Amino acid sequence: MIISIDKKELAEAVSSVSRFAERRSTTLPVLAGIVIVAGDDGIKLRATNLETGIDRKINGTIKDPGVVALSANTLREITSSFTGSGQLTLEHGGDTVVITTGTGRSTLKTLPYEDFPILPFPEATAANFSISGSLLKNLIGTVAGCASPSSVRPELGSVLISAEGGVIKAVATDSFRLAEKKITIPGLNSQFSFLIPAKNALDIMQTLPDEMIEVRSDDHQCAFSCPSMMLTTRLVTIAYPDYAQIIPKSFVTDATVLRKDFESVLKQSAVFSDSFQKVRLGFTVGDKKVTIQAQNNDVGDSSDSISAVVKGDEIELSFNFRYLTAPLSLITSESITLSASGIGRPLVIKGVGDASFLYLVMPMNQ
Amino acid sequence: MDRIDPHELWERTLTQVELSVSPANFNTWFKDSAIIKIEDGIVYIGVPSQFFRDWYIKKFNTLLLKIIRDISYEYRNIEYMIVKDVARKSKEVKKVARPTVELPLDDFYINKSDNLNPRYTFDTFVVGSFNEMAFTAAKAAIERPGITYNPLFIYGDTGRGKTHLIQAIGNQFKKLYPNRKVFYLTSEKFSVDYLDSLQNGTANRFKDKYRQYDLLIMDDVQFLAKKDKSAEELFHLFNSLYDNNKQIIFSSDRAPVAIADIADRLKGRLSSGMTIDIGEPDAESRIAIVRKKVALHGITLTDEVTEYIATAVAGSIRELEGVINSVVCHTQMKGIPPDLLEIKASLRSFSRPQKTVSVKHVVSKVAEFYGIDEESIYEKTRRREVVRPRQVIMYILREDFSVSYPTIGTKLGGRDHTTVIHSCEKVKREVGSDTELAKEIQDIRSLLV
Repeated sequence: MIISIDKKELAEAVSSVSRFAERRSTTLPVLAGIVIVAGDDGIKLRATNLETGIDRKINGTIKDPGVVALSANTLREITSSFTGSGQLTLEHGGDTVVITTGTGRSTLKTLPYEDFPILPFPEATAANFSISGSLLKNLIGTVAGCASPSSVRPELGSVLISAEGGVIKAVATDSFRLAEKKITIPGLNSQFSFLIPAKNALDIMQTLPDEMIEVRSDDHQCAFSCPSMMLTTRLVTIAYPDYAQIIPKSFVTDATVLRKDFESVLKQSAVFSDSFQKVRLGFTVGDKKVTIQAQNNDVGDSSDSISAVVKGDEIELSFNFRYLTAPLSLITSESITLSASGIGRPLVIKGVGDASFLYLVMPMNQ
Repeated sequence: MDRIDPHELWERTLTQVELSVSPANFNTWFKDSAIIKIEDGIVYIGVPSQFFRDWYIKKFNTLLLKIIRDISYEYRNIEYMIVKDVARKSKEVKKVARPTVELPLDDFYINKSDNLNPRYTFDTFVVGSFNEMAFTAAKAAIERPGITYNPLFIYGDTGRGKTHLIQAIGNQFKKLYPNRKVFYLTSEKFSVDYLDSLQNGTANRFKDKYRQYDLLIMDDVQFLAKKDKSAEELFHLFNSLYDNNKQIIFSSDRAPVAIADIADRLKGRLSSGMTIDIGEPDAESRIAIVRKKVALHGITLTDEVTEYIATAVAGSIRELEGVINSVVCHTQMKGIPPDLLEIKASLRSFSRPQKTVSVKHVVSKVAEFYGIDEESIYEKTRRREVVRPRQVIMYILREDFSVSYPTIGTKLGGRDHTTVIHSCEKVKREVGSDTELAKEIQDIRSLLV
């Protein structure tokens, strides 16, 4: 195989593809590698860790077609150190690949590519729709951080994507808090729902371009494709908890505060939070303010309040401050509403005038 | 044709597969798969994802088919299924979430520089009438280390809390005098250390190492018996520490005089300070122990359960702890402490056969030991050479096999139970002071095992 590629383009492609290579060393060596295929469809880079996989096209000229697998780590380190523009040549011979740039020359050992698995491309039996890449990334990227990092309950470690009546929803929860993002896609009539492991979803969203993406899935696999690349991931096939029933229908107290104020007060209280990261939120109707208190026996305590529009009953609730700060970066509106539904019942955070995003967090034991 | 269950078939297939593919391939592709079911000669293999199914079909289908056909012609074909995550999970060991109390990790933590286990402290030590003396002596010893009781020698049967007590002394010493050095070791470790130093020619370094400590705690000194060189080394070490008023603490399962096969000069030194025994815990103490131990794990048992455990578990405190650990485990799994019925059921597995012995057997062994006629024991003679063995027999029957006083009397030629009580008390008294007698009884015990 002899091919020549633009340096910058290769560096960019390798850094995105290497994300999908296996990082643990215990498995098949080729899974820690990137396979470069030069054939009739042009030049393609492929990598997979058996959870997710990527097949990405790259521009270049093929002088002699062939297939070769190279260590993803080595390739990424080499290509990221390239400076300047220009072409480079990859030449495969025996069990090595020689990379020649204008001035330099490096020789890399190849990996046995015969063991590289086939990237599954699902039949579009369950879902098939097109969406712009930037919208999709916003949809999934917003909620994915709220999924559980543990793999004990795979459904909680996943992002639920469901569509009904032209609206696509993405939901993630770790059983302490829940985030839901909705997007309307005109002309989407189908109805579907599937679960993508959150870690895979994040990797894929970071890689997808902003152009139109075709999403297709069957019961076990989902693929995101556009002309330049195809990404695929395994799906989780467990029933997702019926989350709609835990979103309160009515609230006892509503408070509207400025997002910036709330953020800075939380940041200050966090210093005094205890080992459970607990802060207390108090809603006062008369004084029109929201009070945030924190106490730590080793550090000290603090109390601060921000002006707010408070309606309903006075109430005090305790929260893990991390769960309160998490949604603030996901909301774009200037002001947010905090809606409490009672002692021991969830608090709902929304952006004012933004119906597309909802964040729900459970209070801590008093 | 025997019907093999899917699990067994898969295990047998895997052993074959392992031989024909590389380890990396095997680990990657076969670890998470299993045979789900066998129906009409078709074997259904469950795999985690489509990656796996495609690859199995492409690469391993022929191999797997050949292997399962070799096992039985019954199997005609293989189908691959992507199994739901739930199905796969259930095959793995069920992880029970334990939201309540976790076993604290520091249970297993041992400080390398002094060998002490921080778990053993005075706070966790249960004091009852059986160990009150030892506890007080231990407290007194560290008030003025090296002066009040030096050496402090604590003995008692296995599982009475000797190690706990002496380690607690070490831990308390560390707390009181942070700048002084403590070292805890077993006599066995001491002798291994000594032999190693001889082999490596570092005997001097060995001597220096042990002479630097302000408090040396040696557990189970009885194991130095017959290790003459190690015992001699301990003798010198003892002298050096003692002369410098460094505190030394020993534990053993018997009194210094009763340790067979160690040099008299060392025996004398061991008993030169304070010698205290830890007796058998009485019923109240056992209940207190159970209470305290379960309370440490944040569990409260009902009074009747506590009492039942304390009385039903015969034997050492260590066995009691074993039962308590199973109670703790039970509570963490189910969320509630076991009730009396559940305890009774689970204790059945802990009960052990009662140590029984025929009186005749003991009599014949003791008579043989003293070289007298077996019959004379049963006779009403009061010759000196018979009286002593007879008393020893009574003592052993009572102490080691808990035979009742009246039974002993009847079996040994129809004697009154008060006679038996007197004899037992007498021997018990004399064992403490009469080395000869203590040694004899020790030797007889070894004959009876």
